[in-house]
Amino acid sequence: MSKHDTHADHHHEELPFWRKYIFSVDHKVIGVQYTITALVFLMFGFALMMIMRWQLAYPGQPIPFIGKYLGDTIALDGILSGDGYNAFGAMHGTIMVFLAIVPLGVGGFGNYVLPLQIGAPDMAFPRLNMASYWIYLPGGIIMLASFFMPGGAANSGWTSYAPLSVIATTGQTMWLLGMVFLITSSLLGSVNFIVTAVQLRAKGLSFFRLPFFVWAQLVTSFLLLLAFPPLEAAAVLQLMDRVAGTSFFMPTGLVVSGVEQAHLSGGGSPLLWQHLFWFLAHPEVYVLILPALGIISEIIATNTRKPLWGYKSLVYSAIFLGFMSFIVWAHHMFMTGMGTTLSTFFQATTMIISVPSVIILTCLIISLYGASIRFTVPMLFALSFLPMFAIGGLTGLPLGLTASDIHLHDTYYVIGHFHYVVAPGTIFAVFAGIYHWFPKVTGRMMNSTLGRLHWFFSFIFINGVFMPMLFQGMAGILRRQYDQSEQLHGASAQGLSVMVSWSAWLLFVAQIPFIINFFWSIWKGQKVGANPWEATTLEWAAPSPPPHGNFDTVPVVYCGPYEYSVPGKKTDFCPQHVVA
Amino acid sequence: MQAPMHYGRWLPPLLSEHGSQIDHLIDVLHVFMGVLFVGWGIFFLYCLTKYRQRPGHTARYEPVKGTVSKYAEIGVGAFEAFLLVGLSMPVWSAYKNDPPAPAERFEVRVVAEQFQWNFHYPGKDGKFGPTRADLISASNPVGLVETDPAASDDIVSVNEFHLPVGRDIYVRLTTKDVIHSFAIPTMRVKQDAIPGMEIPIWFKVKEDAKSEAIRERMTQVFPMRKANWYRLRHHIATQDYKDKDGQVLLARGQDLGATYEAGQELLEKLEKAGVTELSMQPRNPLEVICAQLCGNSHFKMKAQMVTHDDAGFAAWVEEKSKVIEFDDF
Repeated sequence: MSKHDTHADHHHEELPFWRKYIFSVDHKVIGVQYTITALVFLMFGFALMMIMRWQLAYPGQPIPFIGKYLGDTIALDGILSGDGYNAFGAMHGTIMVFLAIVPLGVGGFGNYVLPLQIGAPDMAFPRLNMASYWIYLPGGIIMLASFFMPGGAANSGWTSYAPLSVIATTGQTMWLLGMVFLITSSLLGSVNFIVTAVQLRAKGLSFFRLPFFVWAQLVTSFLLLLAFPPLEAAAVLQLMDRVAGTSFFMPTGLVVSGVEQAHLSGGGSPLLWQHLFWFLAHPEVYVLILPALGIISEIIATNTRKPLWGYKSLVYSAIFLGFMSFIVWAHHMFMTGMGTTLSTFFQATTMIISVPSVIILTCLIISLYGASIRFTVPMLFALSFLPMFAIGGLTGLPLGLTASDIHLHDTYYVIGHFHYVVAPGTIFAVFAGIYHWFPKVTGRMMNSTLGRLHWFFSFIFINGVFMPMLFQGMAGILRRQYDQSEQLHGASAQGLSVMVSWSAWLLFVAQIPFIINFFWSIWKGQKVGANPWEATTLEWAAPSPPPHGNFDTVPVVYCGPYEYSVPGKKTDFCPQHVVA
Repeated sequence: MQAPMHYGRWLPPLLSEHGSQIDHLIDVLHVFMGVLFVGWGIFFLYCLTKYRQRPGHTARYEPVKGTVSKYAEIGVGAFEAFLLVGLSMPVWSAYKNDPPAPAERFEVRVVAEQFQWNFHYPGKDGKFGPTRADLISASNPVGLVETDPAASDDIVSVNEFHLPVGRDIYVRLTTKDVIHSFAIPTMRVKQDAIPGMEIPIWFKVKEDAKSEAIRERMTQVFPMRKANWYRLRHHIATQDYKDKDGQVLLARGQDLGATYEAGQELLEKLEKAGVTELSMQPRNPLEVICAQLCGNSHFKMKAQMVTHDDAGFAAWVEEKSKVIEFDDF
């Protein structure tokens, strides 16, 4: 068997279509599969939110055009129902986090770029890699199928707090099953990434010659590996609470709608679920943002034509960030009745974790100093990522301190804060990455004019979506509210929701140039060579697109990752695989 | 008359004693965040213009040497430490560690359920009657053991939270079913209610924050172009608005109607009648809301908070004690 494997690695005969493009073991095909699937899920998650935004802007009025097709459980007479709203909200969060952003950052970019950047022919375990995609996809399908269950999809929030989730409709069972698949997929992926990054680096590629992107992926993989198992266990426990009559998260003496629930509750702890959930879900935030920072760093280095400022600080900060992310989780739970000792610990760790984030952002901004900045499309996305990610980071401060959190907890301030991190943050990084590596994947450039249009309008409207939310949060509007005007303080700031909703719909329109550009460029884009951006890292040493096995000759690395504008050289870039 | 106040697009009016410290922290934080963002932003924009690629300009290979960034980072870290130790921790520990003494505080049990707030008062004897889960019914939402002598004068109020101003209110918070969160924006109070646990929380309503007075202070004049049912659905008119024939379209004390359609129709009529602005005030200026997703009607889960002076509160207790409790279904 092993003999056959070695053989297969070096001799690439033409594979049948289904082995080449569907059940492929090639990291590049798997990376593209992840990217396309995740982009579809991203669009779907966005569509759910666009429907919810109608209800938030114009509460209780029928949804135009599509309202009548949504079915009576979701929208009776075309008006989104409370349950429908909650199901859409829960699924928006779940889909965006677990089916869109993580698979894009790790499954997509990580899979495609990481082996190339370390000069490897493929991942360390190609079949495991294929398995992780084919476990992710059914997980996603189970999640989508839950919309057709009696009572609709899971509607207890993406956080699925017990006991609400335990007494919820069947959709929640599907959610838990889907999560088990998704987590298993991520675990397989993370093992593979760690082994690949450690074992398959090209000759001469020492750890401190790794591109920052690889470091970011490596730290991310450790987070997935160590933080996901507790949630997998917790999901199984909640599943047992729902289907097998156990009571891990159900306390004694529950009375729901006037009926005692002794038959399904007793002795469990609702807070246990929250601890297990956030023990994953906080590191998850860094799983969402670290690959994005990796992408941004590559693009900034390439387009500033100079080495990243403070490369080692970036690496140490990423590692420290990863470590700290395991001990801040309970800052999501300050309002659960936490005592002073515990809350002091968690707000202190939360303030500490902001330090490496500040260092990373500072390094990236100082990298612009003394540069020769090319305003390419990926660079526009990367540059606009910086201030928006800064807003996301800064707005974390009032939430991370317990006293100010009392007012802001569970308000739109929270929604604005974390979306600034992952939407104008990570999603902008994802777009930057797509424009940046598209020529590598397809051998063709994306159209720059359409790209600029896409960037400009996305930048305007995404701020139109999330900036007013910070004000709504200040005014005290709570998240997960089907009708914000139902409350007096909400009614006074609900008007901003109209602006947010229109921005969201226009943000969708702003994606049309991207969609056109994407497909047009696959077939009609300008053909380019191996290294169109004149970049230094190893993926640009491979042909575009790289064949199965990646490199024509096995690369050997002679220098650090970002040797741009080295004095006395003819070109302004010295690729890693070229003898200096 | 005192200065007007209203809900808007920034912090809600502040009516509790401890809240000013929270607001102070929020203010300091936002000034700090603003300074950092603007500082970074200026440097960022400077770099973007000064170091754009152009003929004759090349990037500098050598990393910029300087200690500014190091000091900036240390400064940020130090300021965060100050925020933590100097501002946040003292507020939180004062707020969470020093409950008012039992003799001085006014206790209320708050029992949350899908989708209402039940307030259980000890009555004149100051003693809570015992409760049992199996006694819970629509007419006895907290499961009070009504035969117990301590329960005889207890008051259970659904979705109406009456309390005296200027006294230490001590809430014993729990829930019958799922997790809820007891939130009063004007009090800067928020606490999750967890089933199986009773969590104490305390606050003091400012001396001058009687509901009646607050309602008057929240009177606002809305130009017709800004009047919209969503914005004004919880407001009542402070005067009569008539059409040209002298017929009252919107009477003093009346709201715009129960639905969006009714409200917009009335607003149109008012506009046709030549009304240019509406003077309105909230029907109930203070609300207790639920801040944790608790099911499909989570958004509707709210209670009116009614604050009285001591005499007013005593009168309410008297009135509630007189009637024999039976709720309509």
